[in-house]
Amino acid sequence: MNDTGAAPRPSGPAPWHLPADLAGRYAAGRLDPAQTMSVEAHLERCARCRAAIPADAGWLAASWERVADIVDRPRAGVAERLLCRCGVPQHLARLLTATPALSRAWLGSVAAVLAFAVLAGLASTFAVPVGRAGVLLAFLLLAPILPTAGIAAAYGTRVDPGHELQAATPMAGPRLLLLRALAVQVTAVTLTGLCAPFLPGPPGLVAAWVLPSLGLTAAVLALTRLVPVQPAAAGISACWAAAVLVYGGWADDLFAAFRPPAQALYAITALVLLPVLLTRYRRADHWRYR
Amino acid sequence: MNPTDTTVGVRALTKRYGSRTALAALDLAAGPGVTGLLGPNGAGKTTLLRCLATTLAPDGGEIRLLGLDPADRAQRTELRRRLGYLPQDPGFYPHFTAFELVDYIAILKEMNDRRARHAEVRRVLAEVDLADRAATKVRKLSGGMKQRLAFAQTLLGDPELLILDEPTVGLDPEQRMRFRALVSRLGEGRTVLLSTHQTEDVAALCERVVVVGGGRAVFTGTPAGLAATAAGQVWLSERPPAGRQLFWRTADGRYRALGERPEGAEPAVPGVEDGYLLLLGDTAAVAA
Repeated sequence: MNDTGAAPRPSGPAPWHLPADLAGRYAAGRLDPAQTMSVEAHLERCARCRAAIPADAGWLAASWERVADIVDRPRAGVAERLLCRCGVPQHLARLLTATPALSRAWLGSVAAVLAFAVLAGLASTFAVPVGRAGVLLAFLLLAPILPTAGIAAAYGTRVDPGHELQAATPMAGPRLLLLRALAVQVTAVTLTGLCAPFLPGPPGLVAAWVLPSLGLTAAVLALTRLVPVQPAAAGISACWAAAVLVYGGWADDLFAAFRPPAQALYAITALVLLPVLLTRYRRADHWRYR
Repeated sequence: MNPTDTTVGVRALTKRYGSRTALAALDLAAGPGVTGLLGPNGAGKTTLLRCLATTLAPDGGEIRLLGLDPADRAQRTELRRRLGYLPQDPGFYPHFTAFELVDYIAILKEMNDRRARHAEVRRVLAEVDLADRAATKVRKLSGGMKQRLAFAQTLLGDPELLILDEPTVGLDPEQRMRFRALVSRLGEGRTVLLSTHQTEDVAALCERVVVVGGGRAVFTGTPAGLAATAAGQVWLSERPPAGRQLFWRTADGRYRALGERPEGAEPAVPGVEDGYLLLLGDTAAVAA
């Protein structure tokens, strides 16, 4: 091999190299595009001429760094770009959208449940009134539970295959759980809210799941100071369902748990206790190391 | 060990799972350099390392790591910023690329600046020879590559304390040699704690060795010291020993026996494995 990188030939012209003035004008960026391409085609093959071009090692390293960053970096999906547009920092947007436990499987199941509720609601409009009330009650009972189910699926050894890898990081514990719970809550409320108008019932009653939803999420997070997320979510959801049915039976009104007095209770829980809870929660020693 | 050199201090550590005792008042001290934990399955190595990595709370005893107390929430968070942990069974997200997985852990390690974080991800992937696999999906990596990928994430942020649970599992001989070279280099000036079944790894890598059995540290010292405990109890013979002592057939067709001298046997130079097997007896032999 000669210093141009080409195989030696038995005969022929001596290897050509960039004249000093041409190399100087190239380094100064004073060549026209055609000349630049020609010089670069030669530089690709000629180590001697490459070495003769003055270069700032720091600038070169930084350039390669930028190129590598563009080549390697994970492609931002629609959700990540949307979150960034809404002002969420890139690393948090990445964390939320890349988290497998918050991914398509869970969102798909939530959407499927809600679609089923809407279809049942639409179908019941042509059926007997008791059927319509039953569909609405089922929806109101189920909608607040969906976020707690999502939170249960978002954090912990049994539901997250990468939990042990993450558990020794500074973000693990309350910070990560809160972040994921917030993402779940916002997503579930948005999806449920989109479905609510299609349900049979007065607008006030159809929207009566919002405050219970926030209250249940607050209760689940509070309980995780004592027990892992999954039993906390299961316990709170079971208590909610039992309370709705028992209170409805006792008051002789299936929707008693969704009337204004009960809503006031949920509002107090959600709007007054939730901020206090979250502030204290981050400082709590979260069920010892998990 | 000089107390001022101690970066890992464990005193009377206990952990129970129901009626089973995993750690029974275990004491341990380690400083900069590589310390190996040897022990059979169920000896308590993984439980000990999980407690040290702050992913599992002990039932009793004290832990001090890098001068911090992991029982305190704020100190635990600070400690997590300064340690790297390779679990025995690291879970993976198969649809991630190698780069995405390490990038994800880097975010959890509070590396918020994207450019700096990506540069760090490339650095640690290069450390484990996976730079050219950065864009490969995790599900398409071999077992050894996955193990190296899990190891790469422990190096994020250049931690002062590395806790590695069975790091050589799944590595072929060449990868194991490279791994030993890397860990030896990392052990210069920082504390590395690793558990292994491989006595060869301990002999080649570790400045100190702790043999764990029944939830306690039954030996603490150097690998040479562990080998020395078997002095006068290792024998080579042409025929298998008649008694019930530990023995195995070697590559040259002779029998290596531990304990009482078999008839016609000649003494052999003891190694780390001999000391380990004699210390833990049948338990270790069955696990090995």
